[in-house]
Amino acid sequence: MYDLVASLASGVLVGAIYGLAAIGLSLIFGVMKVINLTHGAMIALGMFALYFFVSVLGFNPYVSLLPIVAGGFVVGVMVYWIAVNRVIGSSDLMSLLATFAMNMIIIGVGTALWTTSPYNVDFSLPGISWHGYTIPGTQIVAAALAIVIAGLLYVFLYHTRTGKAVRAVASNRQAAELMGIPTRRILAIAFGLGIAVAGAAGALIATLFPFTILSGGSYELKSFVVTVLGGLGNPAGALAGGILLGLIEGGVAPFVDVSWTPVIEFSLFVLILIAFPAGLFRIGKNH
Amino acid sequence: MSQSILQLENVESGYGEVQVLWGVSLSVHAHYLTTVVGANGAGKTTTLRAAIGSNKVWAGRVVFEDDDVTALSAHDKARRGLVLVPEGRQLFADMSVEENLEMGAFSPRARTHYRKNLERVFGFFPRLAERRQQKAGTFSGGEQQMLAVGRGLMADPKVLIIDELSLGLSPLLTQQLFATLRELKQAGLTILLVEQNVHLALALSDYAYVLTEGRVGIEGPAHEVAQNPDVRKAYLGM
Ligand SMILES: Nc1ncnc2c1ncn2[C@@H]1O[C@H](COP(=O)(O)OP(=O)(O)OP(=O)(O)O)[C@@H](O)[C@H]1O
Ligand SMILES: [Mg+2]
Repeated sequence: MYDLVASLASGVLVGAIYGLAAIGLSLIFGVMKVINLTHGAMIALGMFALYFFVSVLGFNPYVSLLPIVAGGFVVGVMVYWIAVNRVIGSSDLMSLLATFAMNMIIIGVGTALWTTSPYNVDFSLPGISWHGYTIPGTQIVAAALAIVIAGLLYVFLYHTRTGKAVRAVASNRQAAELMGIPTRRILAIAFGLGIAVAGAAGALIATLFPFTILSGGSYELKSFVVTVLGGLGNPAGALAGGILLGLIEGGVAPFVDVSWTPVIEFSLFVLILIAFPAGLFRIGKNH
Repeated sequence: MSQSILQLENVESGYGEVQVLWGVSLSVHAHYLTTVVGANGAGKTTTLRAAIGSNKVWAGRVVFEDDDVTALSAHDKARRGLVLVPEGRQLFADMSVEENLEMGAFSPRARTHYRKNLERVFGFFPRLAERRQQKAGTFSGGEQQMLAVGRGLMADPKVLIIDELSLGLSPLLTQQLFATLRELKQAGLTILLVEQNVHLALALSDYAYVLTEGRVGIEGPAHEVAQNPDVRKAYLGM
């Protein structure tokens, strides 16, 4: 009983980070209808960036988030102009291929640099103990920061001029252009933000678990599940979807081997798709 | 004779392989209401889209305030004051009325006149003021057209270009929107209008062009065009 409660609590905390990662994916899809297959690679780069700042340079991991978010934004804007801009407006397959190619390049370079053996950021905080179970402090802080970052993104999208322009472009790109909004630049900003958020999620995950350059892949898949669960497209929906997924993982963890988790997750994914075929990625859509 | 502010010179354009415009020339004079009429599929929308940069100009030139703006993007032209209220409204459906108007005023020039323009828009369309927080997508067709025109005005246009002002609207609302147009014209705004209701459009316009299969057929002062036997037969049902 206690182990289930502890597992659920931990699931909620980690789920908030899944939610943050999913926000990065759904923001990009919502604004430009591009399924960003570099998502997992960017999460992994966030992990290695954290390793670099903390284990090499000796920064505090949470302070490291600032340069990681900034760097993620710059990388995202670059990837947009290099690989995505020219395939915007052509078939969906083109943007899938373009981002998949970028993904393979990043994973390839990452493997060459860091191999695929696990890295670990040595960092811990006092946790909360309860009936012999401990919730690590790093999980609590990471979840709180994930929620803060999602909140900041919400404020940006709903209360700043540029943020509203991002939503306008998501809603109707042609009309946005007619109103003097430089839509390509807005797309680049949105892509940059999506990557920055993915990188931040990766960095937060790296404060909790060991990782390799390939680790992003499973979080990318979780992001798809979360986006289906959360449906919506506003950061709050994705966050809720992430927490729900975390709860499910936490709920099954005490009873089955971890290798069953993805089976359960993706069975759920398929079931939801069957039940709510229109629920997938309904972001910035005209109803 | 006032100054010409916008000219299309032998503009050719189309979609993919299909050419729609075969050398359209027209000129919009400052403070005039200029109308383009023509049958469905004649290329009216394509002409407007070529003028504001939504459609690529294959040949010919677009000149705005004595600058060749042919190659500029639509958003650059909008920033200069060439603003299109598109056919079918094209609102930001999941944003509020107020946000739609705010996005209309995105360009730096429009932003400086935000307050003044907002008052003017709410003056024309009090309904928008009452419904500021409502999502544009939940509006009725008529309300959406008011918002589309309002959003266009928020862009502080030097030339307001409207594609199908009255399409799908009740006669009453059509009258109301035309009354708004008359006020705007009297206030000195330059307007380029495409309109199905040829009768109303010609009655209010200073100058008119008749587009036939991607070419300008007839042109002249609106009251003369309205008297043209071919126009009377084809568009005015007389
Ligand atoms: N997106 C498009 N792709 C391909 N062809 C198009 C496209 N839009 C318009 N056309 C074609 O271009 C021609 C001119 O269309 P356009 O929309 O300019 O006509 P219009 O005069 O505005 O007609 P309407 O009165 O029906 O609005 C038509 O034959 C139309 O089929
Ligand atoms: Mg048309």
